[in-house]
Amino acid sequence: MEAKELKEILAAYDAKLDNKLSLNIASLKSINLDKSENKMQAMLKYRIVEIVAFSLLALFIGNYIAINWSQTHLAISGVIVGLFTLIALSGSIGQVVLLQQIDFSKPIVDIRKKIELVNTHGLLFLKLIFLSTPVWWSYVVVGSDYLFSVDLYARMDADFVLKYLAVNFLLLIPLVWFLNKLTYKNLHVKWVRKTMGLVTGSKTMKALAFLHDIEEFEK
Amino acid sequence: MNANKKDIFVKTIDEHKKIIYKIVNSYCPNREDRKDLEQEIIIQLWNSFDSYNDNYKYSTWMYRIALNVAISFYRKEKKRPTGSQIYNQASIFLVEEGDGEEDAELEYHLKLLQGFIHDLNELNKALMLLYLEEKSYEEIAEILGITKTNVATKISRIKLKLKNEFQKI
Repeated sequence: MEAKELKEILAAYDAKLDNKLSLNIASLKSINLDKSENKMQAMLKYRIVEIVAFSLLALFIGNYIAINWSQTHLAISGVIVGLFTLIALSGSIGQVVLLQQIDFSKPIVDIRKKIELVNTHGLLFLKLIFLSTPVWWSYVVVGSDYLFSVDLYARMDADFVLKYLAVNFLLLIPLVWFLNKLTYKNLHVKWVRKTMGLVTGSKTMKALAFLHDIEEFEK
Repeated sequence: MNANKKDIFVKTIDEHKKIIYKIVNSYCPNREDRKDLEQEIIIQLWNSFDSYNDNYKYSTWMYRIALNVAISFYRKEKKRPTGSQIYNQASIFLVEEGDGEEDAELEYHLKLLQGFIHDLNELNKALMLLYLEEKSYEEIAEILGITKTNVATKISRIKLKLKNEFQKI
């Protein structure tokens, strides 16, 4: 079929619609047009709750660091926990900015990208959890000190602490490389696709695959 | 609610009902879901009605909103029991189904074309719909947010694919 024939079919279809397409005004008016809350607004509320929670946590950690400034090991542990809290907080702020930029009257590719980036938010937390593994002792040190007033560091053997820090520092390098690979840009790589499929939900995977499609569409 | 504003809105929808009808039919293979998508598009158009920017043609603005809503709707996993009569309540509908020989032939070709469009991904589907609406490459680029060159390249690829598909029949 040539383009001309195609256009003829469509012109006939258009003519048919012009003649036979009707609007039921009563039905249209019965639609609750003022249905105020949509999915985006509900998501915005969740993200604002996240921002409030992370801000409170950041304030608490800031206070903890200030109180324990003279005890280097507690201050460093606090700074590490604080750093992760700030990354999570900035991620949530970024989501709110994205959500507020979503306007369906804007160009489709731009809006789809923003929506799918919002849908992949879970991936940030997953990456933070992975990234926390080499420094998980910071959480334990801060937690046990704050909740039970037990300074675990003081009870540890100095040799063990040094070995622990060295091993975890070495672990950090492949971990950062691994986490950098976990993006929609690398979905064509089998192990990346499989790993992400395994650790994220289907919603996140769908969003990542669509981000990949959008990028292909833009080329 | 401002009754006058609502009347203007209803009049605008009436003037552009073909856009909504075609998009709903292209993105909803399931008849039962069409009413829901139609409602979502109308609600979104209403919510954005005050922020309409007259730098753009009304149809450009409407296509952007309707396509964005349709793509979101299409990407949701919908599970509705079949056999629902909800489509009978649609606001935009065909007064009668054609039964003449000419209509039957048109229906046949349209079904083939709709089948082809249905198999395209969400973004190519939007591109194809706009192309078939005889929108200029510039307007298609404006609605989708890609370059005019990109629009031209993609359309020629899809046209070729379409030609091959129709030649198989």
